[in-house]
Amino acid sequence: MVISPVHYIAVPLLAAFVIPLFAKLNREFVRIIPGIVLLYLSYVSIVLMNQVSSTGTISEVLAGWAPPFGINLVFSAFSGFLASLMTFMGLVIWIYSYRFKKIDDEPALKFYVLFLMLITGAIGIVLTGDIFNLFVFLEIVGISAYSLTSFYRNRDGAEAGFKYLLLGAFASTLILLGIILLYSSIGTLNMADIAQKSHLIPTSLKVSIFILFVVGFGIEAEMFPLNGWAPDAYSQAPGPVGAAFSGIAVKAGMYVIIRLIYTLFDIEGSFQFLIVMGLITTIIAEVSAMKQTNLKRMLAYSSIGQMGIVMVAFGIGTREAIIAGLFLMLNHAIIKGLLFLSSSYLVYNDDNKLISSLSGLGKRLPLVSFLFALGAFAIVGLPPFSGFWSRLYLLLAAADKELIYLIAIILIIAVIEIVYYFRVINKLYFKDIKVKSDDVQKPSINAVISMSILGILIIAIGIYPDLVTSYLGNAADALLDKAGYIENVLVDINN
Amino acid sequence: MNTYFVVLLILFGGAIISFAINKVSYLLSGIVAFIATASATVFFYLNVDTDNFVQFSLAGFDFQWGLNSLSLLFTYIVLGLGTLATLYSIQYMRFKNNLGYFYFNFLLGIGSMMGILFSQDFISFFIFWEIMTWSSYLIVVYNGNKTHKIGIKYMIFSGIGAYAMLMSIVMIYADVKSFLIADYIDYISQVGLSGHYLQIILLIVGFGVKSALMPLHVWAPKAYANSPMGYTSLFSGALSKMGVYGLSIVLLSLLTNFNTGENVSLGGLFEGINAEFIRIIVQWLGAITAVMGTLYALKQNDAKKLLAYSSIAQLGYIITGLAIGTELAVMGALFLAVLHAIFKGALFMAMGAVERQAGTTDMTKISGLVRKMPFTFIVTLMSIIALAGIPPLGGFVGKWLLYEGMITSGHYFLVVLIFFSSTAAFLYCYRILFGIFLGQEEKETINVREAPISMLIPMLLLAILTMVFGTYPGLLFEPIANAMSYIGYNDVVWEMSTISNVWGDKVSLDYVSLTIFTVFIVAMIFLTIKNYKGTRYVTTKDISTSGEMPTENENLTFQLNFFQPFERAVAPLYKRSMDKIYNTIGESLDALFNFVRTIYTGNGQTYALYVIVFLVIMLIFKDSIFN
Amino acid sequence: MEDIIYKILGAILTIITAFVVGITYGGLTRKVIARVQNRVGPKFYQNFFDVLKLLSKRTAINHGVMQHFAPMFIFTSAVTVLMFIPILHDGLFFSNFSFHGDLIFLLYIMPFGPLGMALGAGQTGNPNSAIGVTRGLSQMVGFEIPFVLSLVALMVQFETTSVTEIVNIQVESGVWMIFSNPFAFLAALFAMFGMFRYAPFDIVGAPAELASGPASEFGGKYLAIMMSSSSIFTFAKLVLYVNLFFGGAENLVELLIKTFILYMVPVVYGLVSPRYRTEQSITYFWKWPLALGVIGMIWAII
Repeated sequence: MVISPVHYIAVPLLAAFVIPLFAKLNREFVRIIPGIVLLYLSYVSIVLMNQVSSTGTISEVLAGWAPPFGINLVFSAFSGFLASLMTFMGLVIWIYSYRFKKIDDEPALKFYVLFLMLITGAIGIVLTGDIFNLFVFLEIVGISAYSLTSFYRNRDGAEAGFKYLLLGAFASTLILLGIILLYSSIGTLNMADIAQKSHLIPTSLKVSIFILFVVGFGIEAEMFPLNGWAPDAYSQAPGPVGAAFSGIAVKAGMYVIIRLIYTLFDIEGSFQFLIVMGLITTIIAEVSAMKQTNLKRMLAYSSIGQMGIVMVAFGIGTREAIIAGLFLMLNHAIIKGLLFLSSSYLVYNDDNKLISSLSGLGKRLPLVSFLFALGAFAIVGLPPFSGFWSRLYLLLAAADKELIYLIAIILIIAVIEIVYYFRVINKLYFKDIKVKSDDVQKPSINAVISMSILGILIIAIGIYPDLVTSYLGNAADALLDKAGYIENVLVDINN
Repeated sequence: MNTYFVVLLILFGGAIISFAINKVSYLLSGIVAFIATASATVFFYLNVDTDNFVQFSLAGFDFQWGLNSLSLLFTYIVLGLGTLATLYSIQYMRFKNNLGYFYFNFLLGIGSMMGILFSQDFISFFIFWEIMTWSSYLIVVYNGNKTHKIGIKYMIFSGIGAYAMLMSIVMIYADVKSFLIADYIDYISQVGLSGHYLQIILLIVGFGVKSALMPLHVWAPKAYANSPMGYTSLFSGALSKMGVYGLSIVLLSLLTNFNTGENVSLGGLFEGINAEFIRIIVQWLGAITAVMGTLYALKQNDAKKLLAYSSIAQLGYIITGLAIGTELAVMGALFLAVLHAIFKGALFMAMGAVERQAGTTDMTKISGLVRKMPFTFIVTLMSIIALAGIPPLGGFVGKWLLYEGMITSGHYFLVVLIFFSSTAAFLYCYRILFGIFLGQEEKETINVREAPISMLIPMLLLAILTMVFGTYPGLLFEPIANAMSYIGYNDVVWEMSTISNVWGDKVSLDYVSLTIFTVFIVAMIFLTIKNYKGTRYVTTKDISTSGEMPTENENLTFQLNFFQPFERAVAPLYKRSMDKIYNTIGESLDALFNFVRTIYTGNGQTYALYVIVFLVIMLIFKDSIFN
Repeated sequence: MEDIIYKILGAILTIITAFVVGITYGGLTRKVIARVQNRVGPKFYQNFFDVLKLLSKRTAINHGVMQHFAPMFIFTSAVTVLMFIPILHDGLFFSNFSFHGDLIFLLYIMPFGPLGMALGAGQTGNPNSAIGVTRGLSQMVGFEIPFVLSLVALMVQFETTSVTEIVNIQVESGVWMIFSNPFAFLAALFAMFGMFRYAPFDIVGAPAELASGPASEFGGKYLAIMMSSSSIFTFAKLVLYVNLFFGGAENLVELLIKTFILYMVPVVYGLVSPRYRTEQSITYFWKWPLALGVIGMIWAII
């Protein structure tokens, strides 16, 4: 069997339908099959990434209809990087949630199916070359995300899920509207084709379509002020789901916005718009994070803040900035993933997930606390952890464009991050123990493994960033190469 | 394999080993730490070579590690004090928990300081700087519970400093396209300073935080006072000197030597700034730091805090000296930097010994330890004499050079300010000696014993050093003169035991020491033979109080409000403290943040409204946003 | 070899001279004060007898080694200061080590004795002693400011920090410092009030309040050494002032006249004054003396 990007979509979809059947045989299959799928997809990622770096972008046509009429998947260095990242995060989160106790309380079946659908949808968004197809994948992501948010069938979970659903429905409407307008004006839904023909659309209409898309996908990408769903969703969803949101779902939304700005539409001022929105998002989110008493909400706001900085990075728009942005996305995925995963154990038995309940947990849960602290050190950008390099790249990119005020704001934000993350670390380690030892949940062995993978990755990238910089460089080149993208997709017409 | 890698490998490897080995035995951890620093020291000085540079590339940047004569001077402080402090810590930390954690961060600190000194490029400099920061943060909070606010404060200020530095570094990279420090200096020497003042100011802020320069010093007193003393000796002695190291490069290599004298306006906020202006600001900040540090030091009742403030004051002298930038002043500043490491290292170790043996360093709780801890007292006494700058110990040489440097270069008012500070320093110098070692011998301290020998050895060694450098400062002048050649002062003249200024006046320290020791010994022999032998010791209760002898229970201890009259005299100076200002800023920020976070109401309808409003605004203003 | 013998002889001669003159001045002061207070007062040589009497006494008790060392500290400091000040300009016996030290050095060696003394006083455990010491140190911070201002003015004016040089310049030009920079002199004169601790600045010893303060636990030979040391110290300070402001002295007689006149200023100033509180005493120096010092310094700079 030839490995192609289609496997990213086909295999998990197939698995999602197969799981209920196998569940009849043995409930354990429910847990194992997603793992096998993700493991296979990871293998696919490795193979395809190698292929991309040697032969260039892979464009795969579905169902025999050549673009711009058929649906195609584009596995470039850029989208491939994100797809691989999502696959990897999915695998890690799967390892973590293999025996995550709280999920076992509920019928575990739906969690794994929904989780797999979330990943499939997100990867689909990243890979697809067709904007309507992209909308479909977004809906898949959305539906699985809403259900995962209200996974615990309690009041708060339902409320959070409802908020998400409310905003998500808005997003769908707006995007659909945008697609309709787009199709009515240039008659194509293929992204490469749109990119080629977008100059034909009258500017005013083009901008309107762009705004509709930005607002729609901005909701998924946690852009201010469209991110109201995020804090609730993160704090109410099961621990691993938070990691999946920040590591996978949000990345997909961000990807679309980046595509819109870099490839699809050529709109003056959109880069500055991204910088400004990114800054507003990050400032407000970080400030809010500082005032949180709920650990998960704090992480959620911090996550929004990070995405804001990613927006800023892509808004700067130079190659260095794109590398920085991708690096930030990578770091955000692994570091925030680690933080969400470890914090789930820290507030395991506290319904309110209060920071104050962490007092002295460092002694009770030494490894989890250590990993959380490691994540906190990394996310505030302390060397020698991976967060430092992405921030350095970003600052260098900003300095290159002489955006001094931008540098200052980013660094002030970093100081704010120090304040609230170190407050938690202090709570963990340097306060008297309040909880009794049987009140804490010891992490299971697979959770420890998955968190350790992330922890080791953070340190490894931190000490030797060259592990990833070449991939990032390729990805940035691929993103900037708009003509190449169009050519790669549309050249198939002639074949 | 390269010297630098090996040294760092020994230190970082030692950190991990001593972390791991703590599970085996609490003592082993400390011993491993000591062996690691000692062997790193030995290895380093056997292989030291200032012309040896290593280059490598990481993450697309060029890195360069090497050693210059300036950083060589600072390695003496780091490795020397580091070795002694680890030796000291073995016994000092003996009965405490989490020793693996402690030594891990301890060695990480030493290793990162060496890394800073090895770094010839900004980026590895910054990386090691940050490692140093967080490892020291982890030790600041080591004592737990009450220290978390101190830790946060330390981390916030360190963060501000570090990020100011980072901002400067990325701006430098945008200009120079290279991270090498030498390249930057070259670049500045070609294009001049104009247009690069923001970079310089940010660097000064970055280094100023670590060297506790006003108004960035507020983290220091408590951070110094609350770390384990074995580490504080290094913290105040060596870690703060990394700031001094950075400042000496910025203030001297950049500002002094390439000041073209042109007064180019930067516009806006930085209107009218030029190199001279920056230097004057730093000079005065240093002097004010010295004065305020001293004034707050003499208010303290806790000896550790007193010394912490005193460290701030001493760093103020050093920074002022660097900022003045004449040959004599710089020499004095660097001399003081080394001496400060020595005597403050010894003092914090001595306080640690007192804390370990007597349970506290609160001077209102203990007194009269001189007969119980004579060696600790001698160390404290000698270090205090050096600190106060009284001949014939080393501190005097540094002070003398500094004063002469200031007077001969026309900084008359600064010299008075510095002099005020160092005279007022006598007050707290006496306070610490009296408060802990002299005065009434109380019942509570009756069982106090002298500290173990492995704690005394490093202290005594440091104390002896102050004496050696007091008579033969030339031993130190040699590396300092070399170091100064790196920052642009060629052919610095020095003599083994004579110090002289540019007017040709000199002080012969050998004559001074000769006179003092001769007279002292003659008088001592005379008085001891004639008078001391026949006397018997009586307790401190047996004193003349208007002819009556106080009973055992009478409280004759004088410790509270020790310098109250003086504090009253300088009361206006205490009115404003940076702490209060920062608190006000913090509170108003807090209120602002509280307001901002109410944007997230938690109400789904509001969020939906936001989306609509945002969409509408975007659609209305789309032309102005997207042209 | 001869040099060394001359040096040693000169040093001893200097110390003896300083001791005799200092003790005599002390006795004369007592006489003057007594006369103003309408008493007969002791003979001017009474202090000699006091010292001799104390020297012949045996001490029975001590409070520890630091107390034992205290008189030696103050003696060492007094003698060292004396050694590094030129007594007469171009005298063979009285120059000692004056070429090897300068003003900054003198400023720093001067507190050496009082601080050593303070240590000894501290060890006795007598609260009066400690209070006296804190007062003394606080006052020192007070008067050092105008003193330093005036010294800086001097150093700036003459572009040297060496006492010998300062004397030489004054002798060569024939203009004493007191005339070329009267403000600096006045500031230093005020500082001198604090230095000699006569009323109203006698807060350290403070008879009837602190029971002679730091010295209260010292008796016998200790007190004798302390008395003689402070006499030597007084003389040394006076000589320093004469050197700095009055163009030094050619011979002993000139020196005695100049020092005595100078010495009487603080004595007479304090004759009828009550004692200041400590903070008053400190802030006293930060008013007119400080202003004069600043004016003096600006004068010198211009």
